[in-house]
Amino acid sequence: MKKLKIVCFSCKFSWGYLTDDTLLAADIKNWVPIICAGKIDPEYVVEAFTRGADGVLILGCPEGDCHYQDGNLEARKRLAILRQALLTHGIRPERVKLVLSRNPDGKDIPVYISEMAKTISSLNQEPVSTERTS
Amino acid sequence: MATKPKVAICWLGGCGGCDEAIVDLNEALLGVADAVDIVLWPIALDFKYHHIRSMADGEITLSIINGNVRNSEQEEIAKLLRQKSQLVLGFGACACFGGTPGMANFRTKQDILNWVYKDAPTVVNPNKSRPQTVTRVDEGELTLPEFYETVKALNQVINVDYYLPGCPPPTDLIATAITATLENKLPLKGSSLAPHKSLCDSCPRNETKPLKIKIDEIKRIHEIEASPDTCFLAQGVICMGIATRDGCGTSCININMPCRGCFGPVEGVKDAGLKMISTLAAIIDANNDTDIEKITSQIADIAGYSYRFSLPTSMLGALKKRDGTQGEQVG
Repeated sequence: MKKLKIVCFSCKFSWGYLTDDTLLAADIKNWVPIICAGKIDPEYVVEAFTRGADGVLILGCPEGDCHYQDGNLEARKRLAILRQALLTHGIRPERVKLVLSRNPDGKDIPVYISEMAKTISSLNQEPVSTERTS
Repeated sequence: MATKPKVAICWLGGCGGCDEAIVDLNEALLGVADAVDIVLWPIALDFKYHHIRSMADGEITLSIINGNVRNSEQEEIAKLLRQKSQLVLGFGACACFGGTPGMANFRTKQDILNWVYKDAPTVVNPNKSRPQTVTRVDEGELTLPEFYETVKALNQVINVDYYLPGCPPPTDLIATAITATLENKLPLKGSSLAPHKSLCDSCPRNETKPLKIKIDEIKRIHEIEASPDTCFLAQGVICMGIATRDGCGTSCININMPCRGCFGPVEGVKDAGLKMISTLAAIIDANNDTDIEKITSQIADIAGYSYRFSLPTSMLGALKKRDGTQGEQVG
């Protein structure tokens, strides 16, 4: 089976900040540490798909604990709407995932990526419904 | 007597509204007709394509092309005019971005043909006929243009020198564009001959826009008595003006309808739809999953709202339908 490409954006304030970035990057392909989940514009997600990603994982701070007050909440709202547009275009919402939590040593990042890859590989058998509503 | 510059006006996959907008120049059109030789205008004048084929390359000063490209005939005409023209102006939303017919790209060609010739409830097609590019009959061979997989904007088929968006472009911008061409006062190639800012910049309702818009309900325009003076977004109605290029003269806003985005993205933006999604998320007043779900589920069709005119040239439109009906595999 072809290895899936998951692009992972993770907030530096909650994910992997106690670990050397270079060491962690050796274990995680297509990993982009960012300053806040609220920095993720829908363009970044679509750009990742354009460049061949099979899924996009965004890791933000726990609910109510964003360093910038509400960046994680903004990310959640954006993705909720973006998923609707992606679905209309034949891209299942499961391909974009947001996790709001904390993991200072970053060891959970590859675990989340692996879980997401597993979910996405199971999507192959389930095409998007194109039932017409009118 | 100096030779007048030659101008071609042509429609591809369009509705004719763009040609009508040129006619709406009214008396000014007479001035244009005096200043140029119109060598092609299928909707108004009886020139034939073989007249164009017989011309030298670059003989036409300006080709004004409206409509998108969905079939092989449209592509052939677009390429012919490109070859014969010094300048090509992509005219109207369909030529610039794919336009409303571009929303067909949300579906596959197969899906569209199935619906039109088989599945739609009004279809009666006992012979299961489908259009063929070549059909042999007793009298000879009948041909039809090939229906392409997707709708394309003009610049996805030929090089386009300038763009004049709108559905249709307003007469003041048309007159300015034609005058600028004739007087050789055009900006850099690739430019849109329209303002660079967003529609909010000239919207008469801008003053009513709160410093920070917060909405806890999203409504469609027909579901409310919309105030004729207040910012649509502040009323909870999705208005694309914030992510759309200015220049239309707020014609929809003036009749109390929200902007649909026919002028496409503002200068420097690749995908107006994604910017609209970002904007909409920012003004939704929700602090937890339940409220986010409640409010976002009120959006009837975000893809339709955001990409009503621009899907073929958008970042989203360029994506492969990974989970589509054609069984495309991941990766």
